[in-house]
Amino acid sequence: MNNMANKQQSVFIDNIEFPFDNSTSILAFTNKALGEKIIPTLCDDDNLKPYGACRVCSVEIQHNENTPKRTVASCHTPISPGMKIFTNSDDIRSLRKNIVELVLSDHPPDCLTCEVNGNCQLQDVAASVGVRKIRYPKQGANHIDREKDLSHPYMRMDLSKCINCSRCVRACDEVQGQFTLTMTGRGFESRITTDNDMLFGDSSCVSCGACAQTCPTSAISDVFQSKSVEADKHTRTTCSYCGVGCNLEVAVKNNEILSIRAPQESVNTGHTCLKGRYAFKFYNHRDRLTSPLIRKNGELVPCSWDEAFGYIKNKFESIKTTYGPDAIAGISSARCTNEENFLFQKMIRQVVGTNNIDCCARVCHSPTAWGMQQSFGTGAGTNSTMDIPLADLILIIGANPISAHPVTGAKIKQRVMSGAGLIVIDPIKTEIAKLADYHLQLKPGTNVAILNMMQYFIVTAGLIDNDFITQRCEGGAEFIEKIKELDVDAMSAICGVSKETVKAAAIAYAKANNAMEFHGLGVTEHSQGSKTVMLISNLAMMTGNVGRPGVGVNPLRGQNNVQGAADMGCQPHHGPGYLWMNRKEIQQYYEGKFGVPTPTTDGKKIPEMFDGAIDGSVKALWVFAEDVVQTDPNTHHVKKSLNALDLLIVQEIFMTETAKMADVILPGTTFLEKSGTFTNTERRIQRVNAAVEPLEGCKTDGQIIAEMMRTLGFDQKDYDAAEILKEIADVVPFFEGVTWENLGLNPMGLQWPVNKKGEDTQILHIGEFKRGKGKFHYYDWKESEELSQHKEKYPFILTTGRELQHYNCATMTRRTSNVDILTKDVIMLNPKDAQDKGINKGDRATLKSDRGEITLDVQITKRVKQGVVRTTFHFPEVLINEVTSAVTDEETQCPEYKVVAVDVLRAS
Amino acid sequence: MSRNISLLSGKKDDKDPLFNKIIKSSDDTSDSQLAEQYNLGVSTIHSTKSFYDFLQDNFKNKKAYLCTGSACMCRGTQQDVADKLQAKFGKDSVGEMICLGRCYENSAFHINGKNYSGNDINNLDAIITGGYQSKSYEMQSYSKTSFLVEDKVFSSYADFKNLLEHILANDKQELINTLKESNLRGRGGAGFPTGVKWEFCKAQESQTKYVVCNADEGDPGAFSDRYLLEEQTLKVLFGMLACAYLIGSKQGFLYIRGEYPESIETTNQCLHKLRELGFLGKNILDSDFEFDMSVVEGQGAYICGEETALISSIEGRRAEVDVRPPFPTVEGLFKKPTVINNVESLAAVPIIFKLGGKSFANIGNGKSTGTKLISLDGYFNKPGLYEVDMSTPVSYIIDKIGGGFKENIKAIQVGGPLGGCVPVNILRDLTLDFESFDKGGFLLGHASFVCIPESFSVVKYAKHLFEFTAHESCGKCFPCRLGATRGKEMLKYAIEDNKKFSHELMKDLLTTMEEGSLCALGGGLPLPIKNLMQYFPKEFKIYMNE
Repeated sequence: MNNMANKQQSVFIDNIEFPFDNSTSILAFTNKALGEKIIPTLCDDDNLKPYGACRVCSVEIQHNENTPKRTVASCHTPISPGMKIFTNSDDIRSLRKNIVELVLSDHPPDCLTCEVNGNCQLQDVAASVGVRKIRYPKQGANHIDREKDLSHPYMRMDLSKCINCSRCVRACDEVQGQFTLTMTGRGFESRITTDNDMLFGDSSCVSCGACAQTCPTSAISDVFQSKSVEADKHTRTTCSYCGVGCNLEVAVKNNEILSIRAPQESVNTGHTCLKGRYAFKFYNHRDRLTSPLIRKNGELVPCSWDEAFGYIKNKFESIKTTYGPDAIAGISSARCTNEENFLFQKMIRQVVGTNNIDCCARVCHSPTAWGMQQSFGTGAGTNSTMDIPLADLILIIGANPISAHPVTGAKIKQRVMSGAGLIVIDPIKTEIAKLADYHLQLKPGTNVAILNMMQYFIVTAGLIDNDFITQRCEGGAEFIEKIKELDVDAMSAICGVSKETVKAAAIAYAKANNAMEFHGLGVTEHSQGSKTVMLISNLAMMTGNVGRPGVGVNPLRGQNNVQGAADMGCQPHHGPGYLWMNRKEIQQYYEGKFGVPTPTTDGKKIPEMFDGAIDGSVKALWVFAEDVVQTDPNTHHVKKSLNALDLLIVQEIFMTETAKMADVILPGTTFLEKSGTFTNTERRIQRVNAAVEPLEGCKTDGQIIAEMMRTLGFDQKDYDAAEILKEIADVVPFFEGVTWENLGLNPMGLQWPVNKKGEDTQILHIGEFKRGKGKFHYYDWKESEELSQHKEKYPFILTTGRELQHYNCATMTRRTSNVDILTKDVIMLNPKDAQDKGINKGDRATLKSDRGEITLDVQITKRVKQGVVRTTFHFPEVLINEVTSAVTDEETQCPEYKVVAVDVLRAS
Repeated sequence: MSRNISLLSGKKDDKDPLFNKIIKSSDDTSDSQLAEQYNLGVSTIHSTKSFYDFLQDNFKNKKAYLCTGSACMCRGTQQDVADKLQAKFGKDSVGEMICLGRCYENSAFHINGKNYSGNDINNLDAIITGGYQSKSYEMQSYSKTSFLVEDKVFSSYADFKNLLEHILANDKQELINTLKESNLRGRGGAGFPTGVKWEFCKAQESQTKYVVCNADEGDPGAFSDRYLLEEQTLKVLFGMLACAYLIGSKQGFLYIRGEYPESIETTNQCLHKLRELGFLGKNILDSDFEFDMSVVEGQGAYICGEETALISSIEGRRAEVDVRPPFPTVEGLFKKPTVINNVESLAAVPIIFKLGGKSFANIGNGKSTGTKLISLDGYFNKPGLYEVDMSTPVSYIIDKIGGGFKENIKAIQVGGPLGGCVPVNILRDLTLDFESFDKGGFLLGHASFVCIPESFSVVKYAKHLFEFTAHESCGKCFPCRLGATRGKEMLKYAIEDNKKFSHELMKDLLTTMEEGSLCALGGGLPLPIKNLMQYFPKEFKIYMNE
């Protein structure tokens, strides 16, 4: 290349030569080339599109020596080869200074008393451009007398500090997609508002906090003053709410948490939801358990740790002596770290000596893990959320990501708004379903019917990917012959969705270049849950949507570490790393690793543990941070089985419905007080770092287990996350290259499998499936026994779900200001049904099932179809599981929460 | 600049755009329903409504509206008009509109969907009773070949059909070449070659494209667009149809200022007739060409003349200026490739196609070609609208066409409120073309001539321009939103409170707005202010500290 051409490919920043690249703007180029932000700006934000409002980022440019210099805003002016950029000429300096002087002519002068003093972009920019004096007439119009809006439980608005950069409005639109914030009015009088001039607290705001995070001043902030410089320490950690795995930056002063923000370089790219950002005050709530408790004379009374451990030891020993180790069982916690889960299953298996270990994956995504293992060979999500922008079509089945996985939901919503197709299969008109091109609003319990229809229509329309099926899969030809025989008219009648709609959706899915599937518990918590997962896998395989970016089958895992709990072996049939416990060579493998014998009898799944308690085969149960009474189906049955136990140990942070029944309570800690790792829904292992010391009287859960193991005579060192991670990496093959240190260095964590060199895996099944060939399965739809047995007497179908503001049984979120936003569970009822049942707005309704009845407030809404009712399970005042059924998934015993035969009556 | 709102708006309905529905949405309930239909927040509807003068309650409740445009102000007619309107309707029932396009006889006002001027104010009773006709204005072509005001070559529906057949029968690229050959440059002010714009949009690979006529150039003093829409409607609409055919568009919009109710009415009537004749719709003239277009009524926001703001407006967004690139030809209306042309540019198209590109190119100085409409205000002895050849000497325009002035004139603002304020002796030496005005440091714009008489303080005129900009600023970019108001205040306090302003601060402010503003509103205002300060230093001196 000659010198001339070289120069053409260069860009000059203040006369220093840099190679031209594909940066989108002068500002982006300069930031990247220099590695620091030397050009000041007030309206630019890495998460938002270039906007060009503040003009503070102006620079001079010159295309060649013969053209004059021009002043342009660097944020939205494209870079071109040969361009000369002058970032700091006299004219530019004075332009910036004069703009900022204008801004300050309508801004209060009281920096020193401002909450963001020392962390204010306007203050920084004013200092850097050197504004000392405001020369404009003092009597000029201004907005510094605007009143604060303090109406919101979390958000704070003080428009006297607003500089009209619109970053909040853009974040509400471009990040969350909520369109609550807007500019109103015009020109000098334009100002920020919510909805149609609502108070912040009365608005459609979902409290994600993206506005407060991006606001360059304190115009929008939060009750925790998250932008103040009060903190003496910031700890980066991983959120313990849902399976998205948002990274959090926790501000701490004097061992007290002040506020939480979202770090930019993370899987959540500077965003998070109201749970992660604001619902943290449960951590030191007065309801926290702060001493071990032991039941004496029917009362739970405080005791020492030694007494608690000693009591458990004695009980365990006598049960083992009398009934053998298999009379003891443990339910591990998907809320706790990988290291704690690993340790817990190690205690149950290697120390107690039984495979009676399970976790809440049983009641949520066990069918996903099972089904995908059958189809692909790995029971985990195939792709990453960062693939979402690459998808041309998104298929969501039985999931409500806007509420339950808010950051992923927001990403999906953004992708759909920017043009990707959307198919939603859900009996409920969810937020995301409103945006769908095809919302297949099926009758609950008919997933298999509708997925078979989709497969039929793809096959009969000739839209299958023959190469993929023949080269990468097995059983394809047989499957295709079988599916062609489907009676689609009958299936259409069963699921209540027209053939035409299903066909159009199927064709849209098959024709998309990249079709990406997400599913939730609306797929798994059914009697045919595992089969449904296998049919979803079929769909992806028959259209070649596996093994590359922007496609795949992607479960939205509910609990923050439910992936990890299963990975760590908290399942009866699988040890750490999904190795089969009933295989001799595996038993030997673990024996080699742990140095003690491995149990060989089959372990019990959670429902079997409850049944075992009643039939007397289980005598002791250790429930680790899981409220089975409130969350497992058929509460009556659960309570009865817990009552039948000789020993119930509950390791908890609050006095849950389950804890209330315990013989021994061990007070654990929240994620904010401990270290370890969580694995999110995309197999992403991320570090959890303690932000504060454990509350006085509590121990980290890992330490509790370690001390118990020592009490039971096992030589277990104190809980040290890094050390246990080392042990995990030695035992679990796909953790091979994971170390505490390399997780710490990588803000994106590592997605398993991680090889010896520490290289991770964003996408599974590239080139070849884990099981070799992807396997097609054919299943006929079968009505749930719950309906076939009870639908005559109980003609409505109840389905359950979650709302944005609360997490699961809301043990944590009910102890935050989230209860001020959403205060109760309600039953959603179609207007026609309400009319038929004589139920009006403001009434309460009683739901009756074969198991029991509950009464709760009614919400009359078209979000549910006739014959379907929907509620949530956040509040213990309404124990919805009093009515849910004992029917479970045929393969995994995952409970069928989503299909319950009920009747609805107006409550007197 | 919400990409999401643009896309959701277009996805839901790209025929009857969201803005039309927002205008009609009358209460919170209908706002919420509209938002729900579009999957938007009610904030979008509310914030858009809040942007426009005409959609404000304290505007809608008025019975009559006074024109506050520059020409009427300089002519000094509006106090009398205001007094008479207030006497008739009550003090609180008279609102304001800025420039009704009646600059040729001033005394302009608006009642019940119609504009009036001149002696009409003395016939209020007849106006209220109905049936009153306002008189027309002087209009004439001084061009060798008239492209814009002639009515022999192209003015009937038969002419329309013949030329359309010709277009449909010819090669698209050939036709674009004809347009390029004519060197027709955009008459909205920027002077971008129309043929090149069309060619560029034609080359975009997109199933959906749009043609938009920018009939919202509300420059006080200019009434050329109004003339074309009301008197030469077929020419404008043909220009759009030809563009649609050449670039591959099925849908077009004419965004017409709400201040021109007669233009909207005439255009709608003409569109109706074209549809009846089968010149719009599917299978136009039995070809596979499909195209329709409709009028979108502006609601009182000058900024909508800026093309990105106009696009935002149609989409139902706040009419804030968007950054460019991407340019509308790549990502325009609903984020699809869009040709957006000024009325006068489109109106020139049919006769260029009829007579050939050369016939247009041969007029003018080679760079500025063809003919141009000029608007002369009420201070001329022969006010009105005229077509002249490009490069006609301005002295000829003033003396021969305009017949000289009624009073002593010290400066003329040419090309709207952002055009230069040029002392008459300097102006006489210019020729009417982009190059001559550019060289003099001025702006051709719409070639409207607003006279500032000796008796009118240029400082007050400068204050008027600041006020106009402060009122019309979209508020997005900081220099314009804050600067226009601060400039207005500095001049106000100087004039009203005898508080002199700092010359240095004013210079800093003007440089900040000129260099820093996002669009031509904030960026353009400093030109006339600087002209006035330069040419009339004595008038400023008494208000200004050095």
